[in-house]
Amino acid sequence: MSESGSPQRRIGVYICHCGGNISDYVDVDRVRAAISADPDVVVGKTTLFACSDGTQHEMIDDIHGEDLDGLVVASCSPKLHTTTFRGVSTRADLNPYAYTQVNIREQDSWAHTDDHEGATQKAIALVQAGIAKTRLSLPLEPLRVETVPATMVVGAGITGLRTAIGLADIGIAVTVLERESEVGGWVGRLGPMFPHNASGRAQIDELMAEIAKRPTITVLNNAELVGKTGSFGNYTAKVRLRTETTEELRQLQVGTFVIATGADVYSPEAGELGYGIDGVLTIKEFGDLVDAAKGSGSLTWQGRKVRSVAYVYCVGNRQPGGNEYCSKFCCAATVHASIKVSDLDPSIRQFHLHRDVRAYGRYELMYTESRERGSVYMRYPDDAPPSVEQMPDKRLAVTVTDALTSQDEITLPVDLVVLVTGMVPRDNEDLTTLLKLPTGDDGFYNEIHPKLRPVETVVDGVLIAGACQGPKPATEAVSGGLAAVTQSAGILKKGFAELDPLVATVTESLCTGCGDCLTTCPYDSIASYVCDTGQKATIDPASCKGCGGCVPVCPEDAIDLLGYTSAQMLAAIDGLSVKEPVA
Amino acid sequence: MATVVDIDLMADVQKFGAADVNACFSCGNCTALCPLADNDATFPRRIIRYAQVGLTDELLGSKELWTCYHCGLCSESCPTEADPGEFMAAARRYAIASYEPTGLARVLYTKPVIGTIIAVVVALFFAGFMLSQAQLGGIDAPRLALFDFVSNDLIHWMGIVVMALMFLAGAWGVVRMVRAIGKRDGVTLKDTFGSGAAWTRTVRALWDSVGVESLGQKRFRDDCHDEQVVEPLWRRRWLVHALTIWGFLMLFAATLIDYGLELLGIKETGTPIPIWYPSRALGTVGGLALMYGVTVFMLGRWKRWSTSQATSQSSDWLLLTLLWLTGFTGFVIEVALYVTTPPVWGYWFFLVHVAIAMELLLMLPFTKFAHVMYRPVALFFYSLSQQKHATAA
Repeated sequence: MSESGSPQRRIGVYICHCGGNISDYVDVDRVRAAISADPDVVVGKTTLFACSDGTQHEMIDDIHGEDLDGLVVASCSPKLHTTTFRGVSTRADLNPYAYTQVNIREQDSWAHTDDHEGATQKAIALVQAGIAKTRLSLPLEPLRVETVPATMVVGAGITGLRTAIGLADIGIAVTVLERESEVGGWVGRLGPMFPHNASGRAQIDELMAEIAKRPTITVLNNAELVGKTGSFGNYTAKVRLRTETTEELRQLQVGTFVIATGADVYSPEAGELGYGIDGVLTIKEFGDLVDAAKGSGSLTWQGRKVRSVAYVYCVGNRQPGGNEYCSKFCCAATVHASIKVSDLDPSIRQFHLHRDVRAYGRYELMYTESRERGSVYMRYPDDAPPSVEQMPDKRLAVTVTDALTSQDEITLPVDLVVLVTGMVPRDNEDLTTLLKLPTGDDGFYNEIHPKLRPVETVVDGVLIAGACQGPKPATEAVSGGLAAVTQSAGILKKGFAELDPLVATVTESLCTGCGDCLTTCPYDSIASYVCDTGQKATIDPASCKGCGGCVPVCPEDAIDLLGYTSAQMLAAIDGLSVKEPVA
Repeated sequence: MATVVDIDLMADVQKFGAADVNACFSCGNCTALCPLADNDATFPRRIIRYAQVGLTDELLGSKELWTCYHCGLCSESCPTEADPGEFMAAARRYAIASYEPTGLARVLYTKPVIGTIIAVVVALFFAGFMLSQAQLGGIDAPRLALFDFVSNDLIHWMGIVVMALMFLAGAWGVVRMVRAIGKRDGVTLKDTFGSGAAWTRTVRALWDSVGVESLGQKRFRDDCHDEQVVEPLWRRRWLVHALTIWGFLMLFAATLIDYGLELLGIKETGTPIPIWYPSRALGTVGGLALMYGVTVFMLGRWKRWSTSQATSQSSDWLLLTLLWLTGFTGFVIEVALYVTTPPVWGYWFFLVHVAIAMELLLMLPFTKFAHVMYRPVALFFYSLSQQKHATAA
């Protein structure tokens, strides 16, 4: 037993130079000397790069050789290397939760480049705090939860349907919910689409035919998700099925959810760029007109042959103060529409009034083809959108300034004006509230990280894919769906999942059942139960995220966060306040 | 008031050529590279844009159409292979057809078969008309007496009438062009003739356009082939072009001298003269220069020696053919004049020669030949613009 009364521990401490990032400002040798006085520190070393292979091996040798039961690395932010050194611990047969990372780079050397003495003192205090926390660490084991090999896909648009097929093929049972009476979503209402000219309707039919071949997929129309209980990997989903006369509630066990509810299309306000005037259409309305005219050799509007068309891009998108985002699909869709028009009647003159054409990747080829077929692209200034008026002869006059011609306004006499409208988030408040899905400023669902974790949300086991997480072309939406398939498989295919054990626990004997914690938990992980001694709180470790929000709320200090117990944190604070021993 | 665009302009211009120009996305590479483009004449990009957007007045008021000598550098380096050089050529054809009032140029340019038929019919008309007035009895004379065959007076008056018609149509076109460019460049009558300084500028611009550029071919010589492979001297474009111009002008001068000598009573037209006689010698040298120039141009177009000669329209061939036939028949007549026994074919070649020469002049405002009147006008405005900027600086 040491002086403080805690059990004798054998802790190894490594202080990193970070190649000078730390040691240029912090006297690492003084730090080592200061903490070596601690009787529980068996190994105290400085190292040029703690994360290097050589040092990792040295740590493993020290853990084995000196029989260490705690590890402290004073280096960079835990965000960078917690996993690295937990791995070192595991490889050395040390419980990974007996490892503490102390940040003396971002929080010390980089912040105090002008005060070497102060930085050194701070480093000593931080490392002492880390040692104090480690001294009280308990060995923890990951939580193991059984998972249900089934996924619920919400939304039967192109993303949802393709996701369902992917899941079925990987051996996961799927239930697809569609709120509408028909599957297919927006894509199901489209004719030939970019980039391969495949009809949207045909693509949906093809997917439905594939689904019919897979008995593990159930598609439910007129169905909405209305309840979710249970925990990670094992949820009970409550589904409401409607017919015209009846309403039925069904319960399904699922391991994960894939939310693929899609987006809506921006609907211009009356008078916005002439919307409402005869001959001013949205890109969807225009697409339907063109598809209906296919093969007839000419395009007509109100019985009159169309000889010229003006497309106005970015309607309702990229508007300061409005929808500021870019909808990504609309440039390519319009370029593609202009090629369809040219196929129909190459003599139709087409003017594209844009802010910049975002026909990225292979869509550039369509853009080139469209230009070569005579489409004229004109860039209008951001602050001076075109204006649309009806002329006495019922044709439309679009007045615009083209940056590439001159500063003078020009008027295009056209038969049709096409407003290129983008996407807006779908109104899905009930579902958003039910699943606690985070939405961004733009109203679309947010993933954890757009590149590193593109389909995961902060709600475990709830994945998002397709246009519900942001406007995108169908191909990209489907890619997102397939990513969600892989992610679901990663969670469900083992049959169980391992969760971080850094969760809150209730000491039953101290709990008075006041219920304060129940309302605090943002993840609904705390429930109450009655036992011999009265009402008690209990925390579901599978759904607890370890945020610690309930800990300070408890008036009886009955809740502790594993890995960050009250005792550990108090000891760490004490460690911070210990001055450097006088040499 | 915003300009209302002509949605059909590009389709219309493309009837005159420029098949690839739609690929242009206005990057401006062509303008950056063009050795002749500067702040007083920015092209080809801007001019292509006018056509794409449909700004007819701007296009027809662009002196830049004619400050381009079609070296082909832009077409060789165009990233979208839109062939800007060929577009400029097509736009010039379109401009010629738009300036003249009859619509004949449009037919000649856009309907090659009908155009060729018209060319043949006009020549036949002149030949037929002369033949109807000819003295066929004179053919067997011991000396080649051409003007006994078709009278000097007839040719003289026919020439006057043809030239009057040509000037009428030409002036109409030039006036329209001047007004279009004047409007676009903001040049008024007062700026041109309103003061002493204005007169100085105008005379200077006239000298620049007619003297330095048209007769001296200065910019053609200096600028047009930098960064390009230099052609061997014998087929270098500016030289071949200069020989053609000077050859034509020498022939024209020889005709005037001959007529002048008759007016002065020194020598009657048709009097046998030795080859070293001033007007005959001048005509012979001019004819050789013209024949050389035109022949090399034809070979160049046939063999596609350079980018600028890669695309040839029937209108290009029409002008070259008429010039070549005029020159060639002229030399045949010259040979016939100096052979001891007068050949009968001499008379027939004479008939063809006069008919084609008349056609050449009559059709000048409607064919590619029209560039001899439009280009100096454009260069005149270009010089005015340069002088204005020089003063401002």
